[in-house]
Amino acid sequence: MKKRGLISVAAAAALAAASLVAVAPASNAAAKTITLAFQGPLTGEEASVGQDELAGMLYAIKLFNAKNKGKYVVKVVQADDQGDPAQSAKVAPGIASNKKIIGLVGAAYSGATIAALPYYKQRNLPMISPSATRVSITDPAAGNIGFPVFHRIPPTDKVQGPALFKLATKGVSSPKVFVVDDQSAYGVGLVDYMKPSIPAGQSAGFDSVSDKTTDWSATISKIKTAAANVVIYTGYFPQAAPFFKQLRDSGYTGILAGGDGVLSPTFVTLAPASVLEGVRLTAGTVPLAEIDAKLEADFVKKMGKASGVYAAESIDATNVFLAGIAKGVSTRAAMLKFVKSYSGKSLTGTTIKFDAYGDVAGGALNGFVVKGGVIKFDGPVK
Amino acid sequence: MFNLRDKGAEIWENQGRVGRIVIAVGAIAIVAALPFMGGTFLNTPIADYESVLVYPIAMFVLMAIGLNIVIGKSGLLDLGYVAFFAIGAYTMGLLGTKTGLNTWEILPIGIAMAMFSGIILGVPALKLRGDYLAIITLGFGEIVRIVALNLGALGRSEGILGIPTPPGFFGIEYAFDSHRIYYWTLLILILLAIWMVRRLSARRAGRAWESIRQDEDAAELLGVPTFKYKVWAFVLGASVGGAAGVLYASKTLFIAPDNFTLQISILILACVVFGGMGNIWGVILGAVILGYLPDRIRFLSEARLLVFGLVLVIMMNLRPDGILPRKKREKAIVKKDAS
Amino acid sequence: MIGNFLDQFWSLTFGGLSLGFIYILIALGYTMVYGVLRMINFANSEIFMVGTFATIIIIRDLFKFTQVSEYATGFRLWLILGTALIFAMLVSGILSMLVEMVAYRRLRRMNSGVLAPLISAIGVSMVLSESVRILTDSRPVASPRAMEKKFLGQFFDAGIRIDNTIIVISALVLFAILITFVNKTRMGKAIRAVSMNPNAARLMGINIDGVISATFLVGGLMTGAAGFFYTLKYENTSAFIGFELGIAAFTAAILGGIGNIKGAFYGGLALGLLETYASFFLGTQWKAVTVFIVLVLVLYTKPNGLFGEALTQTRA
Repeated sequence: MKKRGLISVAAAAALAAASLVAVAPASNAAAKTITLAFQGPLTGEEASVGQDELAGMLYAIKLFNAKNKGKYVVKVVQADDQGDPAQSAKVAPGIASNKKIIGLVGAAYSGATIAALPYYKQRNLPMISPSATRVSITDPAAGNIGFPVFHRIPPTDKVQGPALFKLATKGVSSPKVFVVDDQSAYGVGLVDYMKPSIPAGQSAGFDSVSDKTTDWSATISKIKTAAANVVIYTGYFPQAAPFFKQLRDSGYTGILAGGDGVLSPTFVTLAPASVLEGVRLTAGTVPLAEIDAKLEADFVKKMGKASGVYAAESIDATNVFLAGIAKGVSTRAAMLKFVKSYSGKSLTGTTIKFDAYGDVAGGALNGFVVKGGVIKFDGPVK
Repeated sequence: MFNLRDKGAEIWENQGRVGRIVIAVGAIAIVAALPFMGGTFLNTPIADYESVLVYPIAMFVLMAIGLNIVIGKSGLLDLGYVAFFAIGAYTMGLLGTKTGLNTWEILPIGIAMAMFSGIILGVPALKLRGDYLAIITLGFGEIVRIVALNLGALGRSEGILGIPTPPGFFGIEYAFDSHRIYYWTLLILILLAIWMVRRLSARRAGRAWESIRQDEDAAELLGVPTFKYKVWAFVLGASVGGAAGVLYASKTLFIAPDNFTLQISILILACVVFGGMGNIWGVILGAVILGYLPDRIRFLSEARLLVFGLVLVIMMNLRPDGILPRKKREKAIVKKDAS
Repeated sequence: MIGNFLDQFWSLTFGGLSLGFIYILIALGYTMVYGVLRMINFANSEIFMVGTFATIIIIRDLFKFTQVSEYATGFRLWLILGTALIFAMLVSGILSMLVEMVAYRRLRRMNSGVLAPLISAIGVSMVLSESVRILTDSRPVASPRAMEKKFLGQFFDAGIRIDNTIIVISALVLFAILITFVNKTRMGKAIRAVSMNPNAARLMGINIDGVISATFLVGGLMTGAAGFFYTLKYENTSAFIGFELGIAAFTAAILGGIGNIKGAFYGGLALGLLETYASFFLGTQWKAVTVFIVLVLVLYTKPNGLFGEALTQTRA
């Protein structure tokens, strides 16, 4: 991450300018204006996830607008739901009834997605979420609540839960695994789907800790009592870093692991490199800097800040819509059809093709390991 | 300073029976017509205007009326009001998905549950006073949310899905997106709540609350059973919150612990004080403004909550008694009491 | 379970104590103001938050530490820590005074009761946390580690870590200075006088506005110190870090008896320990529930908190 002063008004202004440019109306009369929307938390406590995703989306659109100058101008409506289902339920009908919008990137959170879905389904608005991983949204057994409009880039908790366990215990001869969730639907969901894949005798215990927690000494004491040698945290990076740090500082030497909520370039800036050395992470994608250092540099240049959590997923999600726009799609129905039949490459080169329920077919998980303060790709989890 | 509240009261009191009916019907008609004014400057960017009317505006109004009974009428600082809203909503969520009961049958149960928990909380908490009550109620609000977050039967962090909408009657259908119908339903509930509060205020309970608010010790000495009336205020306030919760769950189809955070309690408290504590019309106006404002200023993008905070600070400094404060006479007594 | 608890007893206790000392300092911010104005200074949590960022500015931006830097030692280490502590205290102290002038002073002069300033304070909280959020790209921020977290020694099975030791000793020193200030200095006596009876104090020629400003300054200094110690121990912060800690510290102040400086001390310690033990026994998710049940029980038996209400014991 590019370092700079904390109270850097210039950076904030640059960010604001960048987002303004992206949504600025076309000066070129010949260009066709297409509107997409983003839904996620953009203000309040949860804003870190939404703002990072939005930056990814705006970056992809910036590239697209520059490439298609004179042909298309893509605008973004930013719908702030604060990550709260109640807010989502009033934003969603507004987005759904705005006929200009032909595709939605989001919602960022599963709860907000579920609250919004009735409206998007009713108005047939195709959506691709970069981070709503709750299984039930695409599970036919749970009543098809997302079908047909909902799609998502990341693998579900059902895929990631067991994979995370597999990666965390890889190469450990007699693992004793302690799992800590953050009480969010995301964290609890991962644990619920991980549990069946934990072999008998390998579980050292569970703890459920609010994502507002700052002092982890009680959890650390439990981990020590259980003599665990593998600790998995299912939650987001802002809590993962202090937790791992406090755990290491207390003398714990075993393995630390987390899921895609932890895989943010910001994560490694939150603790000393020596503390995070060797942390194992899973995700459906790869951080921009790991795909190509130039990509990250370009992102920083264009967006005024380093890429964040779910950045690659947001870019992938946006690119699906952009591919449709480039093919001349300009209505919701056509866009939905396009997304359903889409088959293309993600940033990492894997194939994005949605199955009937909206998941990326055969979504495999990648493993990562933190080395020298950088998240390094470590091959797919097998 | 020009006092809007006194002006309004003056006009009202100078009218005859016919005049009053005309004013009341006219006012209700204007409020009921609000959903049709989406095309005007009232429209909210991004968020849907009609759903904003239902939640937050109408829901906030209802909750603010309920909280006003607790704070404005009896001077008890309740920072955990969202608990009753949550209890109503979870009652609807559980019974609506697990039993065959419909919203109208669950409504009284939800209200009863909220009232019951009002007693559970109120009886121990109301033995304390002032700011201690604030922290205990705040804690209660958090406890309700934490229990919902950790009990499997309540769906934990995933919440409850697929809550049924109310059954229609007289050809009125409650679809999840018929915001107007919900708005008008809430309007009826709000009118009922106003009627209840005004009726009680004019009677023994109202006088007892007024005396508790002004000087609790003196009231006790004069033979007012203060504890009983405090619990009574608490429970009535809870019932309104519970009713709002039942309808809310039935409207959104999906509830999760994230809907019932401490921030809601604080916001509702802000509505009450911002509007004019103790005066029901002020409280309603406060809830309308604070419910509406964050959505109206969405064009500010990232800065909208910052601006919302600024508005709170500036307005409280300009009108410390709220936009429509309670009567001058009552204020004078409070002033004397405070100095 | 009990056996495990005994095994972990000392390390839990040390964790709880150092957390407790941070609570104490924040609680002082609430309790000082409450003692004088009978008002919940809701914005205190954001004053704490700004204190954590002030610390980071010194460590990261002034002394240019990164997550891969060598640890500082010797004189340079103490210089860095000292600068950061003083800077955090000053920033928070001054901000606290400003908040009083902007958000409360006018209301106080108008005799508006306690609720209007409370809402005004909530507005200030929103403004402060949202401003910082925008300035930090909505991301959490870490303080790079300037001091190696080494163990000074062993007490039974628990290691005694240097940062916890610094926190406990410095917080005790700050607390002693505060007590001396309130009891011995002219301004401290004026604060107590205003707390006992503002009208009488005014008649005695005390400048009420000055005293109240001083109270906010002192409360802010303590809260800023808490921000520094918090950053030293946990090294992470964000624009919203204040909310939970603020409520915890306010709970601590009430537990001990709000308005009472000694009450904040014991309340903070009790809460730090209680939270840590409860998390271990009942599961972290039930921590808040346990705390509030204990609080209700305490207030039920001792309606004014463990140590009574006032800055002095004279108020009825």
